[in-house]
Amino acid sequence: MSTTRHLVNRRRRLAAVAAPAAPRGTAAPGTEPAVDAAADPAPATATDTPLPQDEAADGRVAAADEPPGPPRRRLPRPHVRLPVALGAATVLLGAFAAWAFTSAATLREDPARQNTALTDVGRTSEVKGGITEAVAAVFSYDYASPEKSDRAARTYLTGKAVRQHEDMLAEVRAQAPKQKLVLTTTVTGAGVELLDGDRARLLVFADQSNTRTGTQEETTYAAAMFAVDAVHRDGGWRISAIDTFTR
Amino acid sequence: MARVRTTGNPPVVVAIVLAVVAAGAAGWGGWSRYDAAHDDSAAYAQARDDVLAAGEQAVQNMNTLDHARLDKGLDRWEDSTTGDLHAQLVDGRDAFVKQIRAARTVSTAEVLSGAVTELDDRAGRAGVMVALRVTVTAPEGEPAVKESRMLGQLTRTSQGWKLSALGQAPVGNTAG
Repeated sequence: MSTTRHLVNRRRRLAAVAAPAAPRGTAAPGTEPAVDAAADPAPATATDTPLPQDEAADGRVAAADEPPGPPRRRLPRPHVRLPVALGAATVLLGAFAAWAFTSAATLREDPARQNTALTDVGRTSEVKGGITEAVAAVFSYDYASPEKSDRAARTYLTGKAVRQHEDMLAEVRAQAPKQKLVLTTTVTGAGVELLDGDRARLLVFADQSNTRTGTQEETTYAAAMFAVDAVHRDGGWRISAIDTFTR
Repeated sequence: MARVRTTGNPPVVVAIVLAVVAAGAAGWGGWSRYDAAHDDSAAYAQARDDVLAAGEQAVQNMNTLDHARLDKGLDRWEDSTTGDLHAQLVDGRDAFVKQIRAARTVSTAEVLSGAVTELDDRAGRAGVMVALRVTVTAPEGEPAVKESRMLGQLTRTSQGWKLSALGQAPVGNTAG
């Protein structure tokens, strides 16, 4: 059985190749019906015709063995349908390309990706270190050397933060000489909330020790938490705003 | 026969060119889309944001409790935690219920700000710091408002990131 099946299949394949040759050779059909007309008469004249047509005839017989399906007119179709298929492919591929580019752009513009806090390890560590140093410097004050604090403010503060810092330290400055006050701020924790190029926002936990040696030595500790906006300028990170979460 | 030939047939040639251009665009777009979707740092950024969202919510949950809806609140505490912290909450639940029933307090918390301090995506561990404002209302007297500096450790579980440790940042001994 397998041999027969193989033969039938082979003939069918040959038929597929042979048939288009027939219309080309015999006539110049411009349309499908004309092609069919050329193919159909083949079995009728098959008895003493050369091999290709014979096989074509066999192919048709073999096809008849199979369950009835659509008429076998596949041969001329690729030519007629080529522009249609190309058009469909163009539309599908174009639609896919449009979707792919749009989707890729949406993915890249995701705010999660714009924020490189932690994903950019070096930069995250740099801003954390820079702001830790800046906070310690600008929120520390020694009555004996007030110019040190002024210098720190000029180095590490910019924009709105300059004024905010002045307001925050006004009381300390006023009382420092009399009370012999030393304010020391230590950052105990800093986390980068946002890092986007030269802009960043950090949450800072700091401890402040306030030592008065005016009349009797006395140290108080205070816990502070605030957020700072930072900008990278002239090779260093500076504080541009301080958010103390006041209501 | 002109219809079946591709050469010298402008419509078919144009169609082929367009299809090739479209195929090229599709290939490029597909690569671009694939590249955008398989960016390692993007996955890490997403994990960071997931950790922050879960951490802030869990810290808020852990500072929110209404004596009138105690079971609901404590269930939420247990849902927000895992590991040792979870075990402690389960063990101490009965005693705590008695305490809060007696005190009749209502605590609400507001997250002021939060940041992820560390994230080990592979090990499924992360650290967050959260600035919190907690308002505690007792049956009598003015509500007490205090600000808390919370430090939390999170562990990834099959139900997302959960708190495995939570405490206030210590004060005093580090300064000066």
